[in-house]
Order: sequence, then C-alpha cells, then structure tokens
Amino acid sequence: MNMYEIRFHGRGGQGAVMAAQTIAEAAILEGKQAQAFPFFGAERRGAPVMAFARIDDKRICDRTQVSEPDMLVVMDESLLEIEPVAAGLKKGGCAVVNSALAPSEIDLGVVARCVSVDATSIALEMLKAPIVNTSILGAMARADDFVKLESIQQAIMNRFGEKLGEKAGRLNSSAAKAAFDRSREGTCKGERKIQRKNAWLPTWQETPPGVALPRTTKAGMAVGPGSMSQNLTGSWGVSNPIYDDSKCIKCQRCWFICPEGCIRRSDDGALRFDIRYCKGCGLCAKVCPKDAIAMKRKGASA
Amino acid sequence: MRSVKALTGNAAAAYGVMLCRPEVIPNYPITPQTIIIEQIADFINDGELDADFIPADSEHSAMSMAIGASATGVRTFTTTASQGLALMHEMLYVPPQVRLPILLVNVNRSLGAGSGIWVEYNDSMAERDSGWMQAYAEDSQEVLDMVIQAYRIAEDPRVVLPFMLCLDGFILSHTVERVEVPDQEEVDSFLPKFKPLNRLDPKDPMSINIAVSPAHSMEMRYQLDRQMANARPVISEVDDLFAKAFGRRYGGLIDTYRMEDAETALITIGTATSTARVAVDELRSEGKKVGLIKLRFMRPFPHEEIRKAVKNVKALGVFDRSISVNGFGPVFTEVRNSLYGSGIPITDHIAGIGGRDLKVATFKEMFSVLDQSASGKKVRDCTWHGLRGEM
Repeated sequence: MNMYEIRFHGRGGQGAVMAAQTIAEAAILEGKQAQAFPFFGAERRGAPVMAFARIDDKRICDRTQVSEPDMLVVMDESLLEIEPVAAGLKKGGCAVVNSALAPSEIDLGVVARCVSVDATSIALEMLKAPIVNTSILGAMARADDFVKLESIQQAIMNRFGEKLGEKAGRLNSSAAKAAFDRSREGTCKGERKIQRKNAWLPTWQETPPGVALPRTTKAGMAVGPGSMSQNLTGSWGVSNPIYDDSKCIKCQRCWFICPEGCIRRSDDGALRFDIRYCKGCGLCAKVCPKDAIAMKRKGASA
Repeated sequence: MRSVKALTGNAAAAYGVMLCRPEVIPNYPITPQTIIIEQIADFINDGELDADFIPADSEHSAMSMAIGASATGVRTFTTTASQGLALMHEMLYVPPQVRLPILLVNVNRSLGAGSGIWVEYNDSMAERDSGWMQAYAEDSQEVLDMVIQAYRIAEDPRVVLPFMLCLDGFILSHTVERVEVPDQEEVDSFLPKFKPLNRLDPKDPMSINIAVSPAHSMEMRYQLDRQMANARPVISEVDDLFAKAFGRRYGGLIDTYRMEDAETALITIGTATSTARVAVDELRSEGKKVGLIKLRFMRPFPHEEIRKAVKNVKALGVFDRSISVNGFGPVFTEVRNSLYGSGIPITDHIAGIGGRDLKVATFKEMFSVLDQSASGKKVRDCTWHGLRGEM
C-alpha cells in the first residue's frame, strides 16, 4: 500500500489524540507500520486540537504534520466555521464528520466522499459523556477499508480497557460498532470558502520585545489584554445551561466555578449567563445545590 | 516472549525501565514527561515492577533522593523535562563526580518565558557540562532500547557515570509507533544485577561525596574528564552486544545514512533525523549526492567518528534545535571544534525551535545552502530556517 495519511480535527476533551493513537494501534495489530501524534496550543478542554496518523507497510520516517490527508476526520462540526478544516484534502480522499446531518447536507468546503455519523448522540447514549473518539473510529472503518473494524475494536479494548477497565473497553468498542452501523455514506458539499484563520503571525522584527503585548489591533483583530473577548468559546460545547431564577438561592457557587467567567452577578443578586462564552462544561450545574441550573443539548440533535 | 505494541515514546521509556528492574524511582511529574511516571506507577501497582516509587516535593529533591539511593548500590531511575531539569541543575553535578550510574530520561521541552511545552534542546544542552553522558533518541523503539543500553553502559566498571537519555517533547514523547518489547529474561541476561563501584553500607562504613580542598579538586575533575572519554569504546561495544541479543543496531555514538559517496552532508539530532531521511531520499532520487549523520551522543562527543564520516564531503551542515545566545547552536560549536583545521566549510542551521513543524522542505533548504557552500560561495555561518522576517 501507499502511505495512508489521516488528519483529525477535534476539541480538547473529545479524544482526538486517543482516536489517532487507536487507529495507529489497529494498523499495528494488522502487522503494518503506523505513527500517530497530536498538535495543540493550550492544553484546554474545548480548544481546537489536531491529531495525525500515518499508516504504511514500510518504516515511516516523515514526522511532519499531515498537510494533504487521504482521510479527514471532523469530530466537531462547529470547527468548520472557524478552521480551514478541509484544506489540503487529497483528490479522491474522504471525510468523516460527526454530524446529525446527512453527507449531502454538510458543507465541508470541498466536494468529497463523505461519511457522517451522529457520534455525539451515540457517545451520550452509550458512554454517558460527549467523548466521541471511539464512535468516530467506527465511522472511519465504514469510510475506508485501510483497517478492519475488528482491528479497531481490538485496539479500543487494548487502549481503553487497559486505562479504564474492561467494561469501559467493551462499551467503547460497542460504540464503534454502533457508529459503523449508523454511518451514512454520500458526498458532501463544497460551497464554503476554506479560509485560513485570522492569526497574527508577526515577523521577528514585529514581535513585541519582552514577551509583552500592549492592547492593540493588528490586521483587524485585537491582540493583548482583552483579545480573549473575541474568542467566542460558546461555540465549543455540546450543551448550554438553562437557569431557573425561582430555584436560585444566590449562593453564587456557579459564578465562582465557571472557568470561562461567563456568569455575571446582577445588582439584585440574580445570575446572568453570557452563553457566547459558555463552552458547556456543566460545572455550574454540578455545583448548584438547588438544581437551579440544567444542561441542555444544542444544535441539530437537540 | 517478545511482543509488538503500539507505544508512545513515553510509554516505550516506561517499558524499558520496567524491563531493567530499577529498585528506587524518585520522581516529580511535569509535561510532557508525566506519562512516563504514570505508566511506571501503573506497572508497580500491577505488580509488574518491584520498586520503591517516591513522589518527591520537587525535581531538586527527586535528584537528591536518586543520589542517596544510588549511593547505597541500587539501580535508580528518575525522569523530568525542561524547568524540572533546570531545578535539578545543582544536584546534577553530584552523580558524575561521585560516580553514580543513575538513569535520567529527559523529555526535551523549551525553557523560559513564552512557557512553551514543545520540543527545544535548551534544557538538556545547558547540562552538557555537568558530566552526564547524554544521548538523543529518534523513535520509540530507540527510546526503549536505549534505556536498556544506558544502564549497561552506565554501570560498566570501565564507565560508572550517570546517563541522560533525551527524547523530543510531543514529537516523540506523544507519538505512537510500532515497538517490539523484548522479553524479560532476555533483558535480565543482557543486563545483570547492578554491582556498584562503591556502596554505602553500615556494616562496611565508607564516606561518599566528601568535601575536598583545592588540593584535590583539580585531579577529581581531570579524572572525570578522562572517564567520559573512556565511555566511548564501551558505547560501541554495548551497541554490538545489543545487536547480537536483540537484532537491532544503532551505530554507537553516531549513525550514518547514505554517506557512501555524499558530497554534502547534514548532521541531525533527535526526531529531526527521521524527516531529514525523507529529504535525503528525495534529493538522492534527483541525483544529488547528499547524506546524513545522526548524532546520537552529545556526551561523550564523537569528535573522531565525525571526522571520519565527513572525510570526503565538500560542505557540512549542522542542525541545531537550540541556540546558545550569541554563540551559535551547541551542536555546531562542537562539530566545528571536531573539524578545526580540516578546511571543510561548516554551517549552522537552526530550525524547529519551540516545536515548530520541521518539514521535508526545511531540510532541502538546508541542503541548498550546503550546495552553495560546496561550490565555494560565501554563505552565512548560521541560518535560521522557518523564521518569519528577513534575517
């Protein structure tokens, strides 16, 4: 076989890195050579993450990030809005997308063979958590025959079973099988413009000395203090908090624990949720002693 | 029985450690090393490794405990990265002079402001003067194999020095690859129980690490400098023995790739060697006579081996993944020392700083500088590749 290259796009906590490692293990179980590695900026739940895998019959030397994948794996649809996800997809390559939509309804930015699966629903149903990596792995086996579903299931048993116990291994392996069965095949749309993210990449002469960023605007984007206000982390999560004012005793535990600072205290003591920044972690609902906060799924599968 | 596993560089290190049966493992976690110590904790918990696992309150303490443990004559292991290695710095100078063959796995991560977690060698390169042997691995298999070789080299009565095995943060530490895990019995026969040179024992009292006056210090330092040189043949010998026992050979202090008739050559270190191999293959298929030298050891430094390997090249480049500020990359400085008076033009090529992706094209760019250098053109002593903005 020629070298088969895969690029995963996910969010911190979805298991993109583990998915890449598992697909590599599945290939190794079949006697092939494989390589899998991650790339991310901040180690932060919800932040965009990439992972890469290569599979070949021969020793794999190339350690560069995969820029022209044979398979593209999109573990979170919302990434299509903010990242040039489909950039470089090889001609004849395929995409695997976590979505409740049919492939023909998904606008990837390139017309390509596509497999869609509602991996979030499968994960919530079978694993009780929106960790979609094992479901996605099942859909990958459906999309292309570079590794067998059985090898993927074995690799899941090895990796997850060893880490989380045999029962977790079995559950995750069944999630992969369910995703394989429920995957829909088709062709995705290519209407969206694949644009590079608006990143500020200064030359060394333009890099502020002293690792200090003043509050300023570069190429239409804020950098330095306050720039995080442009990072709408609200697109990251699978659910939003629903707040019931009448049950709230104003203890403000939710305000204290919110990692994104999107809960504000009003003058009357009631709380206001700025969901533009809520990444759906659900910590507020967990700490609420009065069940005044409930997490509700958003998006197409809600 | 030998088994094949899908392991990250970190997991490969942990498997290697388990097979070597160290008895004391003082440790302190730090990204990107933490997985090593977690995996070892699992092995101990599961009864696969019988060792004292001591969570320390800092890396300084972890190294201090390792020194104490090793001085009692037991095989000792610890692991760290970046800021953790910097915090160990003071204690790192003890094991070489006291002759304690501790194994330290350092997962390279950039040091200082900017707080990067990705690979750069400024952490371990800063410790090259401390008297530790220092090797850099290219892939997960080499990590596992070098853990085993490291103890064998370090504990050899002709050496008895501590060993620092370095692996690239994330690009190796977090990369899954196919790894053959040797059988425990094979490793046991390759690496017999540690027989210490000196040992603290209440039944036969002795002092180790005594304070000395200027009347003795100079001789101690000279002895250490000689000792490091003595390790050179042992490293090659252990590699041969390892090849016989396990079927894999790494070349000792350096390895070469397509150097037979090479006119230009690049010296690489760590995982960069892998991608550079692809660049060499592509350039060779275009008819260019290029080759690679993989630097495996920074200490002892392979001065003679490099001289021999580049005898017929017209230009030599050195890849550096760290910078000694205003003093070139540390590998370049050493290589230029090795080749002083040889007349071969040598250039420094700094790239991949802070974990920046090293592309096949990056290495081809280095070879094109070497082409110019070989044809007698004046080129910069040091080029930064992948830098935004004119140099």
